[in-house]
Amino acid sequence: MLRAIRFIVDLFTQRHGIVAFVFFLALGLLMRQAPNTIRESIVSSAVSTLYFPAQRIVSAVGHYKAVALENEQLKEENARLRQETYHAREGLQELARLHTLVRFDDKWDFPIVTARVIGHNPGRFLTTMVINRGTEHGVKENMPVFSMNGLVGKISKAGISHSRVQLLVDPNLKLSVMDRRTRVVGFLESMDGVRLTALVPTHAGVHAGDTLVTSGLGGIFPKGIPVGTVKEVRKSDLDVMRQMEVSPFQDFSILEEVFVMEKEPDWIIKELLDE
Amino acid sequence: MNNLGWLKSLVLFVIVFALQMTVADWLSFFDVAPDFVMIFIVAMAIRRGPTAGCFWGFIAGFTQDVYAPVEWLGANTIAMTVVGYAVGQLEERFLSLNLPAKVGVLGLGFFVSDMIYFAITGLSKDVVTNLFLTKSLPECIYTMLIGGIFFYLDLGSKKKKHA
Repeated sequence: MLRAIRFIVDLFTQRHGIVAFVFFLALGLLMRQAPNTIRESIVSSAVSTLYFPAQRIVSAVGHYKAVALENEQLKEENARLRQETYHAREGLQELARLHTLVRFDDKWDFPIVTARVIGHNPGRFLTTMVINRGTEHGVKENMPVFSMNGLVGKISKAGISHSRVQLLVDPNLKLSVMDRRTRVVGFLESMDGVRLTALVPTHAGVHAGDTLVTSGLGGIFPKGIPVGTVKEVRKSDLDVMRQMEVSPFQDFSILEEVFVMEKEPDWIIKELLDE
Repeated sequence: MNNLGWLKSLVLFVIVFALQMTVADWLSFFDVAPDFVMIFIVAMAIRRGPTAGCFWGFIAGFTQDVYAPVEWLGANTIAMTVVGYAVGQLEERFLSLNLPAKVGVLGLGFFVSDMIYFAITGLSKDVVTNLFLTKSLPECIYTMLIGGIFFYLDLGSKKKKHA
């Protein structure tokens, strides 16, 4: 056995490492050429067998250290919240009356699953992260993920005890957004995996500082989740559209806890996704 | 490299990724952060040669690819494998081990890695130009600065040992 390992190591190190280089490069090229289903299974296998357990241990150590400090903070917060609850209760009663008056029916009445971020891309382009909740907790693919500050992304792959979250800056995630002030609907995406850009009609009069929320169109994200603010408005290739740089409410690199909304895609979108 | 050497490298690899996920964020200015992973690959290639360079390049690239969009799987893996091997070859055949040369090789490796990555992911010309000016260039300079400090300290410790 030892001799076999020594033989393989010698084979790899001979000729200034050219054998090792060709082998690893071929592996990389094979991954590039593989169909998406195989790539997905490579990633899922690597995450669930190797990276998820390792990151879970690292994350757990950090978590226990933070618990004592968090406990103190929670006690203070609890006292403050008790005071606020009293005022909020009154506000809710008033809101219920107003909802009835305007027939407001777009409530987020979906159950929420709280999850902890246990892994994210250690590289320079942060487009996905892993959370410690999976199908056994009710999490399914395409469920919206958000934080206290705003929209984070959606579940791209749900494992049994963990899931991958596709962040808003993932170039493959495109969503419909609405300007809160003008109510005009646009389209949000990231072309480079770093910055968010939105396209809205020129005539809408959207300008820097405006807030963008989810429009509810598209069937995956419910209406009204805050997404970000318009940082800069630029001319796009199309005269009828304006391209704008969007600054998300949530800084994805410092996320620790997120919420998964147990909302499945609308039936028509679900059929399209299944296809 | 003996078994202890591989174990040391593995521990260092884990530490580097932990640094990249924590310290790199704290050190970032205007979204520009140093790339500790690239420093690690170049350092491994310089110190242990092309075989270790391409091996750790492959492992580090694959680790980053696992958390990238599925469509881009393999892009980081190929880019970092090539850089690890090329730096190892450069060191083995042409370069002396002085500090400016190491920092220069680090910068070159950074650019080559980014160029291969952009080429493989098939991003448009405008996006690549924008990313190059706003991300690659400043991050390369920042990484060279941090890498320079690491290499300087490493050389310092070696000199002490020899003395």
